[in-house]
Amino acid sequence: MNLPTEIPLQAYLVLAAILFCTGVWGLINSRNAVRVLMSIELMLNAVNINLMAFSSYLDGQLIRGQVFAIFVITVAAAEAAVGLAILLSLYRNRETVDMERFNLLRW
Amino acid sequence: MTIASTTQLICFAALSITLVVGAFGVVLLPNIVYSAFLLAGVFLSVSGLYLLLNASFVAAAQILVYVGAVNVLILFAIMLVNKREDLSAIPGLALRRVLSAAVCGGLFLLLVRVAFTTPWALPGPASIGEEATARIGEHLFSDYLLPFELASVLLLMAMIGAIVLARRDVYTSDVITGEPADQGLIEKARTPLLTSKP
Amino acid sequence: MTEAPTIAATVPVSNLAVRSVIFDPSSLQLNAAAIAPEGAVLVALLLSLLVDLAGEQVAARWVPPICYGGLGSALLLLALQWNSPAEPAFVGAFLADNLAIAFRSVVAASTLVSLMLSWRYVERSGTPIGEYAGILLAATLGAMLLCGSTDLVSIFVSLETLSVSSYLLSGYMKRDARSSEAALKYLLVGSAAAAVFLYGASLLYGLTGGATGLDAVALALQSSTTPVAALSLVFVLATVAFKIAAVPFHQWTPDVYEGSPTPVVAFLSVGSKAAGFALALRILVGCFESFSVQWKLLFTVLAVLSMVLGNVVALAQTSMKRMLAYSSIGQAGFVMIGLVCGTEEGYAAMVLYMAAYLFMNLGAFACIILFSLRTGSDRISDYAGLYQKDPLITLGLSLCLLSLGGIPPMLGFFGKIYLFFAGWADHQYLLVVVGLVTSVVSIYYYISVIKMMVVKEPQDASDVVKAYPELSWNLRGMPALRAALVTCVIVTAVGGILSNPLFGWAGEAVTGTPMLLQAIAAATAHASLG
Repeated sequence: MNLPTEIPLQAYLVLAAILFCTGVWGLINSRNAVRVLMSIELMLNAVNINLMAFSSYLDGQLIRGQVFAIFVITVAAAEAAVGLAILLSLYRNRETVDMERFNLLRW
Repeated sequence: MTIASTTQLICFAALSITLVVGAFGVVLLPNIVYSAFLLAGVFLSVSGLYLLLNASFVAAAQILVYVGAVNVLILFAIMLVNKREDLSAIPGLALRRVLSAAVCGGLFLLLVRVAFTTPWALPGPASIGEEATARIGEHLFSDYLLPFELASVLLLMAMIGAIVLARRDVYTSDVITGEPADQGLIEKARTPLLTSKP
Repeated sequence: MTEAPTIAATVPVSNLAVRSVIFDPSSLQLNAAAIAPEGAVLVALLLSLLVDLAGEQVAARWVPPICYGGLGSALLLLALQWNSPAEPAFVGAFLADNLAIAFRSVVAASTLVSLMLSWRYVERSGTPIGEYAGILLAATLGAMLLCGSTDLVSIFVSLETLSVSSYLLSGYMKRDARSSEAALKYLLVGSAAAAVFLYGASLLYGLTGGATGLDAVALALQSSTTPVAALSLVFVLATVAFKIAAVPFHQWTPDVYEGSPTPVVAFLSVGSKAAGFALALRILVGCFESFSVQWKLLFTVLAVLSMVLGNVVALAQTSMKRMLAYSSIGQAGFVMIGLVCGTEEGYAAMVLYMAAYLFMNLGAFACIILFSLRTGSDRISDYAGLYQKDPLITLGLSLCLLSLGGIPPMLGFFGKIYLFFAGWADHQYLLVVVGLVTSVVSIYYYISVIKMMVVKEPQDASDVVKAYPELSWNLRGMPALRAALVTCVIVTAVGGILSNPLFGWAGEAVTGTPMLLQAIAAATAHASLG
């Protein structure tokens, strides 16, 4: 099923850029640690859109980008699991997820 | 313009709008539970984009791993740490938000400029289509064998580490001397911890 | 849809062509022997996890010898690989040239020493020891593979293996809020850095038109002057700078170092940093050669900022771990001088300084771990009058700190003088002058610690030292700590006198690395033209 496509590559790249910048903004401004983790997931998804778009438009035969994206998905899942475990153990110690109150160590 | 390409355009537009609205919702909504559900929407529309890009395997992996695992995990975490907190106001928060929005806007313009000024090697070879799954398998066992094997170590360690950190049971004694231990740093904090339970 | 049949007709042909690209007989060489040292580490990792199933007592008995065996054979295998012809392994994903071998040895040795420092610390804190060793070995595996990866995907996965294991290790003291907090901060900053790196990598993938090997990226960058190359350079450089903790990407360092278990800090400050420098060489020298003017300028700025800020802020610290954190930022600045030079001496000086840094920094960490095991404190003021009660710590810490400050005839002096010499020969006057001035500053705060330990009269000793426990080495784990401490201190003290073979090895690390030789040749050709 190879549809001749009318959508330019740049459309995907712009979409990825929007997602990435939203993620960066969320990373800087979120006060809830869980939301910071979500912002990081947004950034990783932006990267994946980039990789998949390049893979489809420039590398249609070898599709290395798709393999790269699978690795990113794998690692992101592992990172999310570790992140939430750390968050849970911190919550047990501090009873808060507010980033502004994680101040035992100075930034 | 054929029916096929019109459908494609409509799908792309719908998915893009869901994606962008969902992403803004994730970072802006005050209620974190809504954010988590919107994040699932973002993941689903990203997977729809992969389908448009002729990558059905990765689209399925995206749904299984991101929506099925990561998002559920995030929801669980929210439920586990959902004590209502009244966040204390911080002076200059609005200014910080506006400034960082400006920075991110600048970054966005830069990325868009790069996307449009770079002479990408278009058009590339025709898409492999449905054979992609087999090709991915070939890659994983030829030129990406090393990262594939290493990823298994990474997943094993993430699993073990997450269990060690999140489980409640504790060895409360030194295995050699039997003295009580507290699973804390040996260097004790001098200033008492700001436990600050509100 | 009229063109559908033609596509269908061309697919089998191109498929064959494609297959031959993937399975080109000449590049099919798996060459798996190249990662034999990593294999030894992996076996040790799995064995320590299995042994741990039999309970904490058994683990405490058997995990240390397993780790020594695995890391020792890894070091042996690395020594056997030295100077062998560098052939791509894993179809171009890995390259075991001398540079990779040198940095992998530094990583493996730093893990070995950190583990020897860890046993007593981990047991005293009551945390499981098998998992601790397993996670630290996984971090080592990631760091070692990172040193030799020549493919964006391999780099990413090994970088993440190192990072995820490091997050877990810094949060390992899970009942301590400081440790969890350090882990969370490290995780958030580290994942953000990984995402930024990935964005740069995805742009590079698009730029090459579908290749992820570093040689293909270098080729694509040569013919490209578009903003995309500059942008991906900045993205990749930010991640490298994060990993080596260069100012202004250093904010995580003091917190993570202060909140993590001290033996983990020892590994992070040497092993993880060595892997970061190997990554920097691989990507910047190997890939961004055509943009060397730009990245060298950026790195000059980073190096000056790191040396100044690291060494000046270290003056004001009251916690030993935090002081060593800032000092390690400054030390990374010194190493960057070698990277900026881009000459044979510069690269050799980098390798030499990393090797010297391994011993002097781990020696210092051994002393502060021993002190905190005995007193439960890491405040600098608590060291007052220590020479009365514990001459070994006093002597070892003094020698290591003097070496870090670059006082002759310690090992660190020779490393530092070699770096400055290489910088001066390459006309990096600003860097060398800043390096000299900040070295003097660093000597000031290192000496003030020594003064605190040695000069105070017995009645001025701190309360902690007055109540110092009796010296005993009979608990399990203590002899390993003592052995590591004594070895590091001896190498630091007399290594300088015997530094000739070290200079030779550092030189060989560069001459046995085709990538660096090409870069040096290109730089000299460029210089003779201009």
